[in-house]
Amino acid sequence: MIKYGHAFVIGLQSNLIYRWNYAVRSLFWFCHLLVVFILWGAVFAGKADVGGFSFAQTLTYFVTIFILQFFIGAFNEDYQISEDIRNGLINQFLLKPINYFAYRLSVFAAARVVSGAFGLLALLLAVPFFRGYLDFPHEGWRIALGIPAMGLTAIIQFSIAYCFGLLAFWFLDIQGFVILSMAVENLLGGQIFPLDLLPHSVFSVLRFLPFFYQAYFPASILTGRQGLDFALQGLAIQAFWAFILVCVAEAIWRRGLKHHTAAGG
Amino acid sequence: MGTMTHYLKIWAASARYSLVRATMFRGDLFIWAVVELLWISVNVVMVGVIYSHTRTVAGWSLYEMLILVGTSMLIQRFLMGFFWSGIFEMGRNIRSGLFDFTLAQPGDPLFMASTRKLELDGLINSVVAAALVAYSARKLGIHPGFGDIALYALMVACGVVIHYGALVIAMSLAFWITSSQGIEGSYFTLMEFSRLPREAFRGLASLVFVWILPVVVVSNAPARVLLHGFQLSWAAGLCAATLGWLFFAVLVFRRGLLRYTSASS
Repeated sequence: MIKYGHAFVIGLQSNLIYRWNYAVRSLFWFCHLLVVFILWGAVFAGKADVGGFSFAQTLTYFVTIFILQFFIGAFNEDYQISEDIRNGLINQFLLKPINYFAYRLSVFAAARVVSGAFGLLALLLAVPFFRGYLDFPHEGWRIALGIPAMGLTAIIQFSIAYCFGLLAFWFLDIQGFVILSMAVENLLGGQIFPLDLLPHSVFSVLRFLPFFYQAYFPASILTGRQGLDFALQGLAIQAFWAFILVCVAEAIWRRGLKHHTAAGG
Repeated sequence: MGTMTHYLKIWAASARYSLVRATMFRGDLFIWAVVELLWISVNVVMVGVIYSHTRTVAGWSLYEMLILVGTSMLIQRFLMGFFWSGIFEMGRNIRSGLFDFTLAQPGDPLFMASTRKLELDGLINSVVAAALVAYSARKLGIHPGFGDIALYALMVACGVVIHYGALVIAMSLAFWITSSQGIEGSYFTLMEFSRLPREAFRGLASLVFVWILPVVVVSNAPARVLLHGFQLSWAAGLCAATLGWLFFAVLVFRRGLLRYTSASS
């Protein structure tokens, strides 16, 4: 466990080097939020609610989604893993008593601590503009269930990124796959619009897919879009997907290693 | 005339090279074409979901909005197809010193850098974006004449030039700042505003995104030609913005070039 603690600390240090990248990303986040504000402001013009939720509740949902992405979203872990494989850096991990998944997870956690701090900073800057439009529910159980949901979301997001990164064992360039999956994940994860605005039949199918738990599920708990029963059932399905995806990641790792050639002296 | 033919020949040679390269990596071309198609679909789905809860957004109906989104996509695909790779690489090459090779080529450095590569996946999907515009126009019962289509095409071309200018300015910052990673993200963030109707912008947002930055006018002006016919104020605004941004982009690039110190030995 100590070695992963060291990996976490080194991850913190190396991510702090890229603090300007995170600052720029935070600025873009503010612009995204402005687009959301203008678009949904126009949608809600003259309307008290859309899909049963007010403008303030909808904006709160998007703000929560954006903040969650800073704290638990996988940004470029897939790219880093693919670079490790392409450049042969992965070889050093094969010779040491270290689990690559756990190592990468530690670095991912460190990166999210840094990006989360910048996300919070951006939120603090944005609050004066959006304060009147934020409407969070006050039930305590939402925090109690929201935190484990966020933890499982982080594992799901990381595992999917890890699996895509491992595709570098077979393909020279995985960027196409990564952007492809990003489009699917953004849409089915509820980052483009709240999934509960979809027809009920579509929503019922989506809640059994892993993408549903990548952003929408924790955000819906924290922002009051779903009730207690839904949250409890969702947590069980989310835990199932987190377990499955970790197993799939391990299986791909083993298959990939059989395919891998460690060349050089 | 001779200079024009010279540059046309250079561009044709680059296009031929890109075509050969694309046919060598057919799998890659397929993946990226699917990626682009998926992102267009994500935007169309978002519009569909919003309009399943409302009849108009800022006074725009569903199919009017799809014309706007399609136009914005069309401009973006053309930019990606014709210029993106070249300009994106220009930023990296300036930092690494590889820009020396561009300077050694027989032509204007900005032209040589911008037209080095054609991305067929972007150009293929411009057909999809154009089809979305045509389908939406048909649904609205609009039957534009040759003059309207020519004017629309001209305005889309103006939009491409404006975006090209903005991208050149963003990438030329590499002449001044060494760590400009993520600057290309600013382009995509600004593109998000171009999918919104002009009427949705109010107050300070209207001043910044409609009057100072041309992100709204680039897509709204051509869309309005199809929807409402020729409007002098929009056409004049777009032409002025096109000339202004192109001039400014060339100026920034030339100023930056004076600072370029080339690669070390």
